[in-house]
Amino acid sequence: MNIQNARRWAPRGKRVWLMSALALCVASGVRLALHPFLGPVMPGVAFCIAAAMVEYFFGLIPSLTVMLLGLGIADFLFVPPYGQIAVIDRADIMLAISYPLVTLSTITLIERLRRSQFSTELIAAVALSRYEMLLRADNERALSRRAVDETHRLVRHLPHYHDAIILLQAVERSAEHGANEMAPGRLFANAHPDDIKRLQRGLQPGRHRVRMASGDGMHRLVECICERFTTHAGEFLILRRID
Amino acid sequence: MTKETPALNASTFYPGSDHAVLMLHGLSSSPLEMRHLARYLNSEGLTTCAPNLHGYSAGTPELRMEAWVAAAVREFDALSARYPRVSVCGLSMGATLALALVHERPTAQAIVLLSVTLDYDGWAMPWYRFLLGWAYYTPLRHRWRYHEEAPFGLRNEALRAKIGRAMQRNDLSEVGPSSISLPALHEASRLAASVKKSLAALKNDCLLIHAIDDETSSPRNAQFVAANVGSTVLRTIYLDDSYHMITSDNEREIVARETAVFLKESEAASSAEGGAKPVVSKALARRLRQMAAIGK
Repeated sequence: MNIQNARRWAPRGKRVWLMSALALCVASGVRLALHPFLGPVMPGVAFCIAAAMVEYFFGLIPSLTVMLLGLGIADFLFVPPYGQIAVIDRADIMLAISYPLVTLSTITLIERLRRSQFSTELIAAVALSRYEMLLRADNERALSRRAVDETHRLVRHLPHYHDAIILLQAVERSAEHGANEMAPGRLFANAHPDDIKRLQRGLQPGRHRVRMASGDGMHRLVECICERFTTHAGEFLILRRID
Repeated sequence: MTKETPALNASTFYPGSDHAVLMLHGLSSSPLEMRHLARYLNSEGLTTCAPNLHGYSAGTPELRMEAWVAAAVREFDALSARYPRVSVCGLSMGATLALALVHERPTAQAIVLLSVTLDYDGWAMPWYRFLLGWAYYTPLRHRWRYHEEAPFGLRNEALRAKIGRAMQRNDLSEVGPSSISLPALHEASRLAASVKKSLAALKNDCLLIHAIDDETSSPRNAQFVAANVGSTVLRTIYLDDSYHMITSDNEREIVARETAVFLKESEAASSAEGGAKPVVSKALARRLRQMAAIGK
């Protein structure tokens, strides 16, 4: 897969050029410090290393700039006769051929590797994005499946406990507390009106005790259970008597 | 003399729920490039508004970037007066403008940045791009224009051919203008420079969608925003089958769907009832735990 933006891997801005200038200065300083020991031997090695480092961190253009400036500095300061640019001899020609050859080869290889690395990072970023999209879609599928299962449970629940249901409540997230729509069940009329008001204010899933009218006109406490059903059509609470 | 038709740069408004989305198009372009996304978001229940901004959009006199931000703020305030939740969505330089707008109006619900452009550094940008900053201070300022060329921000070749024909007929097409003036580019650079400084102050939920082979703004733009924005909720999506105009290109359906999902999740997460979708997928739960661990 050819990513054309792979060539844009390098950072940009003033900092890049400042750091490149610093690398050139450090290379010059190191070579100057070693000059009493090295003399005319390997005049461009420090600049070659500097250009390779700049290529690795800051890209092609700063690296080529460091390489060219390094060639000038190396030829002027470290190739005899020192400090003279007008005299061109065999040593100058050797440097002009070997230094760019080695440095350009190194820079080219590093540039290719950095482009490949950036390209791979971009493709990995796409893969990660797609994986996360897949996971979110998977979550939505799981939620839908759960809603379908809950709907089936509700459909089975309603006829099974038809005679024991006191009330059904549709839960709306946006509704105020107690303002949810409520439908009476078969035992609704038998429940004590105060208990109905209490349940309307805030019915919660779990066990409840409700006063139910008995045959003698008295009310007695009855154990009830409230169950939640999260269906595709919304959430419902069903309160029924436990027999 | 421009050949564009007035209908091409008219504002669009699709009424929906109490969550409105202000959609900002690219530089010197028109609301037309947001049309597909606006319609999709509206079909998902959101109110969408893609305005024509005076001084920024095609067909209006070119003004300084402060006027662009002021025009966007006016549109945002008008929506805020009518809708309790307003999110901002921008494409290309519109995304940069959206960042500037949200800096001015931090009450925005969420911000969606599509092909955000802080630097024109994509692979199709001309080599002399860096000279244009200086060319602005020369007589070229009023003479030279940047002319759009193939691929027109499109990887889809059939659509690219259609846009190429449209650009020969008009100054404006559904993926942008055929040319951009130097002063507009200069103001865009100023806007981007100001936005770069204010990214850390942005705390709104943020969605970034960028094509890795964007020929106008490289993915470095999205990476820069992702690394510097102060949002606690940040989602980044990279695409591999589109160029710059991701709202019109091969993956426009993915862009539209992910934008709608993100805006709805942002709304649900911030609502008093805590209506965020529960995580039931074990794989997603694991991934979210990994991301939370990385964020620590």
